Amino acid sequence: MEDRQRELLELLDKSGASLYALLTRLTLRQDVAEELMQELFIKLSNTKGLHKIRNWGAYAQRAAINLAFDWRRRQRRTCLSLDDVPVAASNDCSPLSNMIHAEQLQQMLNAIGRLNRTSRQALVMRYVQQQPYDNIAEQMGKTAHQVRALCYKAINRLRDLLGKDRKEAYDV
Amino acid sequence: MSKIDENEICRRLEMLSQIEPTSEATERAINRTRLGFTWGTATTTYKIKSPSPIFRFAAAAVLLICAGFLAGRLFAPQPIDVEQLRAELEASLKSSLSASCEQIKDELHQQVSRDLTQFAAQTLAASTTVTDQRLIELIQLIEEARMRDRFRVAAALEQIELNRLQDKTRLGNGLQALATQTNEPLRTEQN
Repeated sequence: MEDRQRELLELLDKSGASLYALLTRLTLRQDVAEELMQELFIKLSNTKGLHKIRNWGAYAQRAAINLAFDWRRRQRRTCLSLDDVPVAASNDCSPLSNMIHAEQLQQMLNAIGRLNRTSRQALVMRYVQQQPYDNIAEQMGKTAHQVRALCYKAINRLRDLLGKDRKEAYDV
Repeated sequence: MSKIDENEICRRLEMLSQIEPTSEATERAINRTRLGFTWGTATTTYKIKSPSPIFRFAAAAVLLICAGFLAGRLFAPQPIDVEQLRAELEASLKSSLSASCEQIKDELHQQVSRDLTQFAAQTLAASTTVTDQRLIELIQLIEEARMRDRFRVAAALEQIELNRLQDKTRLGNGLQALATQTNEPLRTEQN
């Protein structure tokens, strides 16, 4: 018990900031990320079969991704797409462009939430966390080539999902 | 199925990756997690091991049964003398009913009278209204019949006048023809 606590506190010191950043990116809300961070560590401390876990960092990251997307699923609401809004002439930080960016990010995260777990994890680690393929491969227990293929398939699936969403928005 | 541009997806993912929480928020989150985690594990470490759920359910059931038995023994009603109860009830009911019976009768009588009067007044008012309405309708019908008769008489008079004029014209024409025919032999004789 003592060992587990020590390990988790070490993990918090070592990867707490990156886990919090990851949760913030996936929820787009700092307050929610804070709550999920606590939930994550409580969940980790209650996990059974901890002796089987070899890479705590990767395990925590995977759990964080799942927690964030579970939260997104619970919060899912039907929102109208803002793709119909014409592209702004300038790149200023007007409220409209901020709103469009926020909507685009929400759309993207919702689409990522619809991917399967492995693809989602690979995509988030590669494109959201900007980690190198070798690092991801080591954490996921796969080869870099396999991770690359997973990311490629995930991007393709995202293209389909987002294209479909856009088409539905236009049909409406 | 239409597809969105891959560059657009990469752009959005890059936007996501550029989101960074503030350092204060990060520090606060980590501290809060550490506190909560330490407290949570501390409480779980020294928690007294609770008995198994089956044992707890069994103990609760035994306690409930004992409590029910004791309560039943303590608060069970004494056996009742039914005859005595009936006699008491009868006497009580008789006394209370006899006093209020006359009063109830009077009240009932008054109520019935009031209702009858009200009903009669309502019926009378309703019948008067209906009669007035029927009379108005009758007057309207008579007026309409009179108007129709007038129109018919006027049409008949007009027709008679027309016939008279036609007869007059025909008579004039006949006389003129007769005069013409009478003049013809006279002229021939003169010639």
